[in-house]
Amino acid sequence: MSTVRVRNLWKQYGDQVVLEHINLDIPSGEFCALVGPSGCGKTTFLRLLLAMEQPTRGTITIDGKPLPGEPRPDRGVVFQRYSVFPHLTVEENIVLGLEFARAPLTGRLYGAKKRRALEEVAETIERVGLSPSRTKYPGELSGGMQQRLSIAQALVRKPRILLMDEPFGALDPGTKAQMYVLVRELWRAERMTVFMVTHDLKEGFSLATRVLAFDKVRHDPQAPEAYGATVKFNIPLDDKAERAEIVSKLPALAATENEEGATRGRPWARLFDFAGTTRRKRRESHERTSV
Amino acid sequence: MTISLKRISAFCLGLAAAAAIACSPAGAVEKKSFKIAWSIYAGWMPWGYAADSGLMKKWADKYGINVEIVQINDYVESINQYTAGGFDGCVMTNMDALTIPAAGGVDSTALIVGDFSNGNDGVVLKTGKTVADIKGEKINLVQLSVSHYLLARALDSVGLTEKDVSIVNTSDADIVSVFTSSSDSKAVVTWNPQLAEVAAVKGATKVFDSSKVPGEIIDLLVVNTGTLKDNPALAKALTGVWYEMMEKMAAGDEAMLTHMAKASGTDLAGYKSQLVTTRMFYKPAEAMEFTTSPQLPKTMDLVRTFSFEHGLLGEGAKTKDAVGIAFPGGEILGDAKNVKLRFDAEAMKLAAEGKL
Amino acid sequence: MGLRIINRRPGRGGALFWGALPFLAVLALYLTFSAMRLAENPNDKLLPALSTIAETVVRLAFTPDQRTGQVLLWVDTAASLARLAWGLAVSAALGLVIGIASGLVPYLRAGLSPFVAVVSLIPPMALLPILFISFGLDELSKVVLIVIGIAPFLIRDLAMRVEAIPPELVIKAQTLGASTWQIITRLVLPTMLPKLIDALRLSLGPAWLFLISAEAIAAQDGLGYRIFLVRRYLAMDVILPYVAWITLMAFLMDWGLRALNRRTSPWLTRGMA
Repeated sequence: MSTVRVRNLWKQYGDQVVLEHINLDIPSGEFCALVGPSGCGKTTFLRLLLAMEQPTRGTITIDGKPLPGEPRPDRGVVFQRYSVFPHLTVEENIVLGLEFARAPLTGRLYGAKKRRALEEVAETIERVGLSPSRTKYPGELSGGMQQRLSIAQALVRKPRILLMDEPFGALDPGTKAQMYVLVRELWRAERMTVFMVTHDLKEGFSLATRVLAFDKVRHDPQAPEAYGATVKFNIPLDDKAERAEIVSKLPALAATENEEGATRGRPWARLFDFAGTTRRKRRESHERTSV
Repeated sequence: MTISLKRISAFCLGLAAAAAIACSPAGAVEKKSFKIAWSIYAGWMPWGYAADSGLMKKWADKYGINVEIVQINDYVESINQYTAGGFDGCVMTNMDALTIPAAGGVDSTALIVGDFSNGNDGVVLKTGKTVADIKGEKINLVQLSVSHYLLARALDSVGLTEKDVSIVNTSDADIVSVFTSSSDSKAVVTWNPQLAEVAAVKGATKVFDSSKVPGEIIDLLVVNTGTLKDNPALAKALTGVWYEMMEKMAAGDEAMLTHMAKASGTDLAGYKSQLVTTRMFYKPAEAMEFTTSPQLPKTMDLVRTFSFEHGLLGEGAKTKDAVGIAFPGGEILGDAKNVKLRFDAEAMKLAAEGKL
Repeated sequence: MGLRIINRRPGRGGALFWGALPFLAVLALYLTFSAMRLAENPNDKLLPALSTIAETVVRLAFTPDQRTGQVLLWVDTAASLARLAWGLAVSAALGLVIGIASGLVPYLRAGLSPFVAVVSLIPPMALLPILFISFGLDELSKVVLIVIGIAPFLIRDLAMRVEAIPPELVIKAQTLGASTWQIITRLVLPTMLPKLIDALRLSLGPAWLFLISAEAIAAQDGLGYRIFLVRRYLAMDVILPYVAWITLMAFLMDWGLRALNRRTSPWLTRGMA
């Protein structure tokens, strides 16, 4: 289980506020798509979840425990670029997680132990369709294969949370479609909580069970840096059968169930008003994010 | 591709030929301008004075020629330049005259015998007290220089050979600092002014110096034989200016001595002390006598034996006779058909007779 | 005709010809000059005939020296290569350890990088007298000169390369559970090795320079020692083949390091990465 709760989260760099006033309760197993215009802090939020960076204010907890101060194997990650180790073959890249765990001193397994580890990951390699390329280096793989490798690599340590930063941004449409199938399959099988940053709304809505739309709700034309983005829309896609099947219930969520239900049927409509700054909308979004 | 291989080759060959003609060594023909190289050493300082004081110009004008005196910071480099044809004359020791220009086929004449080292080169031990104590030591010196020759003579004097010691080639600029501050330097062979400094190190002993082999390390002005033959005026001008300066020096001309002391980087007292161990031939008659004495061929035989044994006569030299050395009396040491080093007393004789 | 000169390319044979041309031109120039000087003075030492050079090479490389009984070229080569190898090995080790430490650990970087930057600006040759005094005239001072000459460059280069490792990779390794030590052994060292070898290749020139300089000033053997010794009597028949030999060895070392890189880091040349 891995319920993620975010309370009153702020992130600033000096005077520049990037994220402000974020409150979220994400039930275990949720597939969240983080969408929004570029520069709106989606990736910063992901980096905070990863603990690559620390929040300026506020807390993030996983199953009630505060997030550790640095990346840990309980949170796997897939980046858009530089996501796999160029000097290791496909097989070596994937088995690396096991080697780190089992050989603290050298980070390297030998002989029978190495063979056993390789057998363990053989299935993962098969599942991402890289068996024929087991001994190739990333430089010899296509972009889609590299991302499959990166995902397989991240899954070896069985993370409870998988973070993906525009994982398919650099792929062609055909490859993307294959990747969607793969990612959903893996998510269903592993039942991880997933946070995926994407700039592609359609991708977000088709893959995820919840869409978190980041945007600024306050603007100061004199000082554009004074206000940061927040989660303007938090849209659980309850019409997806999978959501009921995979995602656990959040006991604390019960009170807002109705309100969330109101979005059902017209999730797109909300997003057309992405840049909307009317008083009414702003108030509404605050209510919505402050669950 | 329109440029043919043939044309390129022809072009390259033409270029090479043109460059070669432009750079080939000057043939011996009568000319008016001459270049003489010198470097810093107690016995050679007058050349700097000759240039600075205008004396050289005075004598050159007298014989209707032009002589440029050029100071070269690196002694060996100056000899190499002379050997390559860059200068008409150069100051050097008898050993270097034999092993660099003469062995290199450049027929050279020792026009002026200026002085010989009479204690200016020496062997200094840090702990030992006699030459025999040098056995088994590591010795810092400029290899294949007169220091090396002096060491060979020192070892010879106590029945040792070079096999009994080990030699570390060390630049003359570093000898003092090495000897004074490094514990693994126990023995050095060097010349003045470095010699005075290492000999002054506490506990160090000068166990041998060139005064024990007087007249063997000779400082010469060497001039290209061909140039000299075609231009008798050059010999007269150089000899004339030299002995005018010698007269001044012998008379203790303060201004001249101070000028030379300054140019050699010391003060008057320091320069005078260097002169004590330099046996200057102030009078042309003395130099002439030294050059014509039967001792000189004996000295040169020692020098050429040492040079040959150390491979200094070059690849082509199969015996020590390979390079012929001519002396004023007509005596010839080595190959008479390949005389490349000549000791000539004619110009000094003219000077002695006051005919310049 | 008609094509711009920037678009006209030599073929295979053409490239070979144009590549060989400067070498042939230099050789032709040498032979011409040498023949002219020798015609005038058969004993000329400045530009000896190829036959004289060949005789000298036979003597140096295959005949024991009369006085010492050693074959000079090999004694000199062994001495120089030993010094060079020590200098390069110590510098590479320093570069690797300090470079990685300062590139990876922010506290060490803050402490070390200004110091290394300043040290790397010291002209090593200017330190030579001090080195001779502090480390003696033997092997140590020569090795130290090479180390002072090239280690700061290697350290700075490696530190910069380590800092340039994409942070994504370091994060990824952490999410796979790697400790700092494991990140060094499995990520940093293997990816830095080829960079170190490349940096060493660039350092070969300076390393030779410092070696020859140190040997010229005080030594009992070595390639630089021999060149500066025989310079005393203008033995170009020794100097020229020695220079060619040094050049050949420097070339072979460069080539060897490049081959080593291809061998130890096959991923560099496989595919597009």
